[in-house]
Amino acid sequence: MASEVDTAPRTAARLLAAGASTLGVSVLLDSAMEHYRGSFRNPAMALPLAASAISIAFDGSGRGGGFPRTASHSASVAIGLTGLGFHTFNVFKRPSGLTFNNLFYGAPIGAPGALILSGLLGAASDRLSGDGGALGSGRLLAGLAAFGIFGSVGEAGLLHLKGSFQNPAMWLPVTIPPLAAASLAVDAMTGVPRPWTTALLGATALVGTVGVAFHAYGVSRNMGGWRNWRQNLLAGPPMPAPPAFAGLAIAALGAVLLMRRARG
Amino acid sequence: MSADDPQQVPRAKGGRAPDVFEPGGWVPMRSHSQDEEVDFVIVGTGAGGGTLACKLAEDGFSVVAFDAGPYWRPLEDFASDEHHQSKLYWTDERITAGANPIKLGANNSGRSVGGSTVHYAMVALRFRPEWFKARTRLGYGADWPIDWQEMWKYYTEVEQALTISGPINYPWGPRRPRYPYRAHPLNEAAKLLARGAEALGIDWTETPIATLSAPKGKAHRCVYRGFCVTGCSTNAKQSVLNTWLPRALTAGAEIRDLAMVGRIEVDKAGRATGVHYHREGAWHFQKARNVVVAGYAIETPRLLLNSACEQFPDGLANSSGLVGKNLMVQLNQAAWGQMKEEVRSYKAPPSLTISEHWNYEDRGKDYFGGWAYMSQGPLPITWVKELAGQRGLWGQRLIDEMARSNHNVGLKMVGEVLPDERNRVTLAEETDRFGLPIAKVEFSYSDNDRAMMKHALSFMDDSLAAVGATERWKEWDDTCHLNGTARMGDDPKTSVVNADGRSWDIPNLWVCDGSVFPTVGGVNPSLTIQAIACRTADRIKALSARGEL
Amino acid sequence: MANRFPGYDVLAKRDTLSWNDKTREVIAERLAMSERSDLLSDRQRATLRTAIDRIVPQPEGRAPVNALALLLAKIADDGSDGHRHHQLPGLRACYERGLDAIEEEAKARHGTSFHLLDGSQADLLLSAIERGDVCSNAWGDLPPAIFWGWRLLPDIVSSYYAHPSAWSAMGFGGPASPRGYVRIEGDRRDPWEAVEADDGTLIPAARQNKHVG
Repeated sequence: MASEVDTAPRTAARLLAAGASTLGVSVLLDSAMEHYRGSFRNPAMALPLAASAISIAFDGSGRGGGFPRTASHSASVAIGLTGLGFHTFNVFKRPSGLTFNNLFYGAPIGAPGALILSGLLGAASDRLSGDGGALGSGRLLAGLAAFGIFGSVGEAGLLHLKGSFQNPAMWLPVTIPPLAAASLAVDAMTGVPRPWTTALLGATALVGTVGVAFHAYGVSRNMGGWRNWRQNLLAGPPMPAPPAFAGLAIAALGAVLLMRRARG
Repeated sequence: MSADDPQQVPRAKGGRAPDVFEPGGWVPMRSHSQDEEVDFVIVGTGAGGGTLACKLAEDGFSVVAFDAGPYWRPLEDFASDEHHQSKLYWTDERITAGANPIKLGANNSGRSVGGSTVHYAMVALRFRPEWFKARTRLGYGADWPIDWQEMWKYYTEVEQALTISGPINYPWGPRRPRYPYRAHPLNEAAKLLARGAEALGIDWTETPIATLSAPKGKAHRCVYRGFCVTGCSTNAKQSVLNTWLPRALTAGAEIRDLAMVGRIEVDKAGRATGVHYHREGAWHFQKARNVVVAGYAIETPRLLLNSACEQFPDGLANSSGLVGKNLMVQLNQAAWGQMKEEVRSYKAPPSLTISEHWNYEDRGKDYFGGWAYMSQGPLPITWVKELAGQRGLWGQRLIDEMARSNHNVGLKMVGEVLPDERNRVTLAEETDRFGLPIAKVEFSYSDNDRAMMKHALSFMDDSLAAVGATERWKEWDDTCHLNGTARMGDDPKTSVVNADGRSWDIPNLWVCDGSVFPTVGGVNPSLTIQAIACRTADRIKALSARGEL
Repeated sequence: MANRFPGYDVLAKRDTLSWNDKTREVIAERLAMSERSDLLSDRQRATLRTAIDRIVPQPEGRAPVNALALLLAKIADDGSDGHRHHQLPGLRACYERGLDAIEEEAKARHGTSFHLLDGSQADLLLSAIERGDVCSNAWGDLPPAIFWGWRLLPDIVSSYYAHPSAWSAMGFGGPASPRGYVRIEGDRRDPWEAVEADDGTLIPAARQNKHVG
């Protein structure tokens, strides 16, 4: 009977694709803004825009397979890795190299990492929609998502330290998501998904969503407020950044679903 | 003149004072009658007086603080314009003399509620600990009657109150607590200092400055507009005007703007009884149990000298004869050059990086004292005056050189000048619009100053050369800040006030500003002045509790 | 020298967020300032005008700078900058005496008025004053080098660089509040900053500068 068909892999694939697209949108907008701020000084600064835009198109289409798809996700990973190199170089070429100030204001190390993750998650989604076999247990994906969330926590923590945690809400992304990631990591190791993890991942997705509103408020707090958007969108807290949490949390929920299925 | 012109009509009266955070806004203010003998009258509301007014009011004393200047609301009153913003400066006539007459007004004297902090460069540095015992430990100048460890505590208090943005770790001196806010991003001028310091093998760091790198209350974070020293129109600058004074008003202090104090009254018993002040076209008298003079290193001695009376014919608090003497500026010489790239140093606060190396390193010096140097970002009028006055450019050469300003890079020192009684403030015969004798200021560089300048200019020039600056030149004559003229000490014969700022001669007359510095060190003085004010307030509280006021 | 910032005009930003109301108000007043004729003698004003023209030549191809109007307003106020060199009289008296002395110096050297000298003659005379090397006894106890270095030169250059035309010519960003700057590193500019000619970009500076705002 139709109802007997196992829908979990497809749902998981959809969650992964949704997570990858959300992460991709975050990367696209964030790198668009940051690289515009950097005046696209290096032509390579256009690459992550192209990569994330194409990946989003594929992830959004929901259809699996095909060489162009695989190529697009591979490109995301490759461009992300290249970006990681460029960004690290950017930090180290500043006076005194690896200092807090250079990490605060240099090219963000975490951002290209998000592009890599988005590519990996998109590819995983494709595999699942295809045969799903290799990723069936979901544990590897859960581990990847946990790693990604920890990375985003590091990035948010660094940037919120730069903002001196001046608003108590700035503690949210460095408290809830790490708990979720830790719980998810434990589940990935044991292979036993706990309800806690799902709840914390839901909360993380929520933090990522309301984060946009908080950042919009942050932009309004700057001199001239939204009227001065040409300065404040770039100078204020980055509005596209928080959804990275939501994207990773959604993808992680897909992994949890797979783990549940694997346990039967 | 319009009815709401803060330079013509006082704003702080009738039970309210301007809300500095809201255009057209007001906050309630307690008012005192002139016949009420208030606990403290404070003359001046800058780094010394404004801070003290806040602390004393919070300790429950009744306080009336006077300022000759207007009470600004920065958001609505400040233009992005050097010429117009000269309204922030103390531009009353003063005679300047000596072998090297100093230029007073723009960069060293403010005339605003909030004092010079309204247009200061916001550099917030601690003294090197040894400077508090310069005579004993380093062999020059004079010892302070205060211990550095005690000052360290008050520095922290001020850094918190001003929400200083500074580096995570400070490379020099004893450990200090983490600055409340993170350092700002570096503009190109700041980076060039850093690269030069690296090339020369010395430490550099992000300058701790009193401007916000993140929002705080109603104050915005810095927008890097670069007009800092002409007044901050966004409230990112943490001045006395928008930090201590709002707290002072909340705690019940009264502030009287556009009120020029001309004379301190002393009774037959030799105690101060209040001050005569000019406001809204007439002279008034405010009774007080204590009078604190906080007019900075020129107006403070001027008021003490102008208050001479039968019992004190040489001026108040002047039995040592030292009122007005030992005026100390700081050396403000600079090295400049041209970069191939665009520096555009008009963006962001002017001094985002610093090296205090030569404040903490004494080897290799043929002079006493220390100096720091910082990156620079002169605005057009300031810059053209330096090119014309110091480099002798005028005509088409000047215009052409100005057109290259975006490639200009510079480093400026803040260097320690030693106390010397020949550098002094006295009264001239000429009088001002209030009929008060104006100040005559005499200053001459010493051989020690010249040796320090030579070393600093050559070092800064090397730093510029190391980053590829070309067409380098040295600016040999500039000074900043004013200190001394009512020094504190342990001995009534060699000082004007004691460690608490209390005058030796008149027990209820105090001084609380940069005048009390026995030595100036090689750092900008505003943080130390505020720390001294916090300490003075604590001492007054303690003395009052013991019935010793 | 060629115009380094072709097409750039600080005033084009007047109605943007780079200018607040107070700035608009004070700059409008300054631009509208005319030269007072009730102050100093005609001859003294002519001398001052010539000195200004020699010390700060007008910017090429831009609205003229009204430095004389601004300086005359300052002389009218007869105020202070916060200090006065002990060898100089008060502001207005200082100008009256100094400008008369320049005129007498021109007559003593060239037998004609200062404002009638050709450019290089006027420059030589101003250089002599700068060095304190004068021959007219009209100077009396007014030290020419101090009059030059403490009064005439700083007043003239600061009046000139109070004008937006002068800011445009040097590529200065001009007023900046509430909007400040985002890109503060070397060789970077915000879209509301001047583009320097021959900075290597593909689009000519003059065309880019039309869009600065």
